[in-house]
Amino acid sequence: MSGAPAQSMSTSAAPGAGRATARTPAPLTGFAPWKDPSKRPIVRFENVVKRFGDFVAVKDCTLDIYEREFFALLGPSGCGKTTLLRMLAGFEKPTSGRILVAGQDITELAPYERPVNMMFQSYALFPHMTVEQNIGFGLKQEGMPKDQIGQRVEEAMSMLELTRFGKRKPHQLSGGQQQRVALARAIAKKPRIVLLDEPLGALDKRLRQTAQFELMGIQERTGTTFIIVTHDQEEAMTVSSRIAVMDHGEFVQIATPGDIYEAPNSRYVANFIGDVNLLEGKVVKVSDGFAEIDWGGGLARFKAVAPEGCASDQTVWLALRPEKIHIDFDKPTDASNAVAGKVVDVGYLGSISHYHVELANGQRVKALRTNSSRLVDRPISWEDKVWLEWPPETGIVVTR
Amino acid sequence: MKRFTWFNATSIALGFAFLYIPILLLVIYSFNESKLVTVWGGWSTKWYGELLQNEGILNAAWVTLRVAVVSSTLAVILGTLAAIVLVRMGRFPGRTLFSGLIFAPLVMPEVITGLSMLLLFVAIGLDRGFWTVVIAHATFSMCFAAVVVQARLYDFDKSVEEAAMDLGATPVQTFLQVTLPIIAPSVISAWLLAFTLSLDDLVIASFATGPGATTLPMKIYSQVRLGVTPEINAVSTIMIGLVTLGVLVASYSTKRASQRQERELKAVDAGAK
Repeated sequence: MSGAPAQSMSTSAAPGAGRATARTPAPLTGFAPWKDPSKRPIVRFENVVKRFGDFVAVKDCTLDIYEREFFALLGPSGCGKTTLLRMLAGFEKPTSGRILVAGQDITELAPYERPVNMMFQSYALFPHMTVEQNIGFGLKQEGMPKDQIGQRVEEAMSMLELTRFGKRKPHQLSGGQQQRVALARAIAKKPRIVLLDEPLGALDKRLRQTAQFELMGIQERTGTTFIIVTHDQEEAMTVSSRIAVMDHGEFVQIATPGDIYEAPNSRYVANFIGDVNLLEGKVVKVSDGFAEIDWGGGLARFKAVAPEGCASDQTVWLALRPEKIHIDFDKPTDASNAVAGKVVDVGYLGSISHYHVELANGQRVKALRTNSSRLVDRPISWEDKVWLEWPPETGIVVTR
Repeated sequence: MKRFTWFNATSIALGFAFLYIPILLLVIYSFNESKLVTVWGGWSTKWYGELLQNEGILNAAWVTLRVAVVSSTLAVILGTLAAIVLVRMGRFPGRTLFSGLIFAPLVMPEVITGLSMLLLFVAIGLDRGFWTVVIAHATFSMCFAAVVVQARLYDFDKSVEEAAMDLGATPVQTFLQVTLPIIAPSVISAWLLAFTLSLDDLVIASFATGPGATTLPMKIYSQVRLGVTPEINAVSTIMIGLVTLGVLVASYSTKRASQRQERELKAVDAGAK
């Protein structure tokens, strides 16, 4: 648990400047079809359940995905995200429920009858065909004339910088090139929806970051709806317009990356995305939309925005991002939440520093500070007594 | 392991001698000038010439070849289908029984297979001849074909087939355009194996055959009972050559396919890193 992901850092306010953070961040772009009631979803899962014997892989999932979205299904392995994707591709049949694409029920259709194409985790390239034949395979099945196939293959290859490799076989390519061939093959038929099953899982970290931006570029240029399955939260944050966080076959939260990070609806989501402090406490009273929370151990109560349906005596958790905590030597004046502690650990990363602060009740809190000036009179160090402070709007109270 | 000792050398020499001296003798005596099989009369290829005049043996050879081609083709088709069912269908009720039934003929004594075949043909009133031999051979060599193809299917990435279907290929198109080309080397070696098995089978063929469908091994066996002629040596030598060639090509193609696959896998791994 070291360091918040790079992307989340940039979507949130500057670390250490918690005061300036708005409660709900404005969306990065104006693209938000899920908020527009007149828009019809391109994909709809309706009460979809999938059982394998006694094991329930997907529990009653309902989800709308809109045209041109880059939608991420995020969760640990075994959470049902791949099963959901495979049901959309037609490789698995839902035990109950319906799947609709553009209003048409496709639940009973075979994989080869569906307007979706998939990019596989293992790439699943045809080993006996050249790159060109791989990319043109889907078009050939459609019965497209040869010269048109050549043109479309050419187009897809130039989009993914594969033109030089057209005559090669998959085993003569590097992993990154194979990944691009797999993507080119999935978009060659110009499907309405492209499914990506852990598409970058086999690449090393540096290549993966380049590939993420390439994916986004392709998605934007083709105007296709992309649905990606990943267990990598940074990847989901980077590429997607919305994320569905899954756990044990259920959606825990479906929201934009910004909302997922800044307004998680549960401890699970807060923990899964980025670095977070979870402070347990009991609600003492609720007034004016703020809750006063007692966290025991003789510490001062703290104030936070009360979630809906929050009542007195309820056990709640405050999810507080390390970069939103202000850390200093002096006791802040006029702060609604301030607590004293002792520094037990310092991690200096150059641009930022991490501090682990132990409070009087033994709880440890992580705080983060940008090193904005090169020389500091007296840096915060081990055993220092410090004050932590955060405005009531920066933390999110979750009840589960 | 690599140490040379006289004991090792002797045991290897004895072992090979035990296995191959009879065959070597047969091959040498097929080039014997003398009419008497056991008396050496100098080098000659005259018995190969005589062989070309012997209609009985030539007919038998032609029958054998036809039986082998048809039955091995049949065996490979059935064996491939059986292998696909076993590998691809996952668990289904009776799977263990099914695989047991497919592989039982591997260990079944040939006499029993032949006898039961004969009983079946008699019971359903099928006239014994060319086709009954074909059916009998296809039955026993199909399990060998299934084993060979099954091995290849096991290390075959299933998502390659899914990708083909995802791109619009029906199951039949997927099989013809993707699965079959990928498993082709093992299908070819399965065919060669079945071909070789059919070529040299005597026991099952003698049970299943009827008038006008005498195979070469049967012909040789019946002639030997009347006395060995140098012609038999010649035809046997040709058969040994054919069978050896078949086995060599089969094992070579299997080896090359697995080497190529290993190379491809290595390239993929190296690329992924």
